[in-house]
Amino acid sequence: MPVPPSIDEAELAVLLKRAGLALTANQVKAILPGADIVQRMIARVHAPLPREAEPALTFDVEQD
Amino acid sequence: MSVLTIAEAAELIAARKLSPVELAKTHLERIRRLDPQLNAFLVVTEDRALADAKAAEARQMSGALRGPLDGIPIAHKDIYNTAGIRTTAHSRLLQDNVPTRDAHTVKKWADAGAVMLGKLATHEFAFGGPSFDVPWPPARNPWNRDRFTSGSSSGTGAAVAAGLILGGTGSDTGGSIRGPAALCGIAGIKPTYGLCSRVGILPLAFSLDHAGPMAWTAEDCGLLLQGMAGHDAGDPASVARPVADFTAELGQGVKGLRIGVVRHFFETDNRASDATRAGIDAAVDFFRKEGAEVRDITLSPAADYHAVGYLLMIAEAFTLHAPWMRERFMEYGELFRDRVSLAAMMSGPDIVQATRRRRVLCREMAAAMEDLDIIVSASQMGEAPRIDSVPKWANMEKPSLTMPFNVTGFPAISVCTGFGVAGMPVAMQLAGKPFTEPTLLRAAHAYETAMPWRAKRPAMAG
Repeated sequence: MPVPPSIDEAELAVLLKRAGLALTANQVKAILPGADIVQRMIARVHAPLPREAEPALTFDVEQD
Repeated sequence: MSVLTIAEAAELIAARKLSPVELAKTHLERIRRLDPQLNAFLVVTEDRALADAKAAEARQMSGALRGPLDGIPIAHKDIYNTAGIRTTAHSRLLQDNVPTRDAHTVKKWADAGAVMLGKLATHEFAFGGPSFDVPWPPARNPWNRDRFTSGSSSGTGAAVAAGLILGGTGSDTGGSIRGPAALCGIAGIKPTYGLCSRVGILPLAFSLDHAGPMAWTAEDCGLLLQGMAGHDAGDPASVARPVADFTAELGQGVKGLRIGVVRHFFETDNRASDATRAGIDAAVDFFRKEGAEVRDITLSPAADYHAVGYLLMIAEAFTLHAPWMRERFMEYGELFRDRVSLAAMMSGPDIVQATRRRRVLCREMAAAMEDLDIIVSASQMGEAPRIDSVPKWANMEKPSLTMPFNVTGFPAISVCTGFGVAGMPVAMQLAGKPFTEPTLLRAAHAYETAMPWRAKRPAMAG
């Protein structure tokens, strides 16, 4: 599984704001440990899928 | 009067040896005496309970009982709508919410004659807990009131274990029936996705939410499930198929059943306590000695199932709660708002990829179960921790072993397997193929009736 990039407070604050959530700086800081865990989960679901996963995976760019 | 099981009470009521009114009064007295120490109830509906009980007693005396739930004292998790009775989701946001209609399953139990004693504590909106910053305190574990009940069906777990009720409703999005069943030492079944209607139940995550019963025994869960299951056109996930007889296979034993043990889930993926593993090993030995074919099986790491389930859960929860979270953020408890806020990190491709992976995992589990009847795993990793030391991210840090069956929708039950070093219950989880609840309950019942654990109640329960 690829190692996910860590997320910092500034980046998390942007994502929360984009979702319409107005958190204070302290609130953002408080959820940062949870954000790291979610980041790892997101990386896990992006691990390569088998071709039979679904029809949308019938084409890949051929690479060496 | 000692606390009866539903099966025992139903038999006595049918034989006119037990008065539903006296039974209701006994349980109301137990609630008055014990619940101030447990906080399992948010509302006690005494007048309603006595009216229900009197109606049941009239049917009893006229030979018109409606079945094994007639006259049985139950209560509902406070995310189940109850007409004219406050339904709060244990949240400040709904503290004055009084629905006008019963949830579909609430009505079904009422139609079956069950006697409703009240509404039960939950983690806020079936997710944030244990919380000390919402309008009502969290439920306490009757085996030790300093300990956690797990959640989110926390009040149901505590109330059943303490004998305040004989059964109750729970809901399960990632383990919210099986977790409190395990830590409170009772039985709780998450049925197959689509078996029980969710109409009138406050949702957490629509693709993972299941309604189901909790009770002292697997047999009682079967009786309660019989009163809940069935097609409801109001729930798009509800399956139109004949409802099985959930107690039909009880007493048939486990001979010939094919059982797979997902040992890596609880030995390496998220290592369970010594007592939990010993309980599972003893149960597996029992199944083998009773004639089941048992072998170890391997699935994807539990973390794969957990990541898919957890990401979809917070994404779906945020979709539902976003309007309130944007306007009334601080009215939620800290645990709910902080956990669900993290959905903001997810992109569209993240959700699509989680959905694709879910499909792969569903196929994997279906293939693994082609030549199996039951999968054995752990329900929780050990005994209940102290309620004041549950970390905010506890439900994320290590993979849940209940989540795989929410991701796939397969039925699963938690069964008590004894007690750990702190004297608190430990449990195993049995899962089956879709709509094989009768077989799942048969195996759980065979185990329960052969073991001594159902004879021991929490000391405070008397």
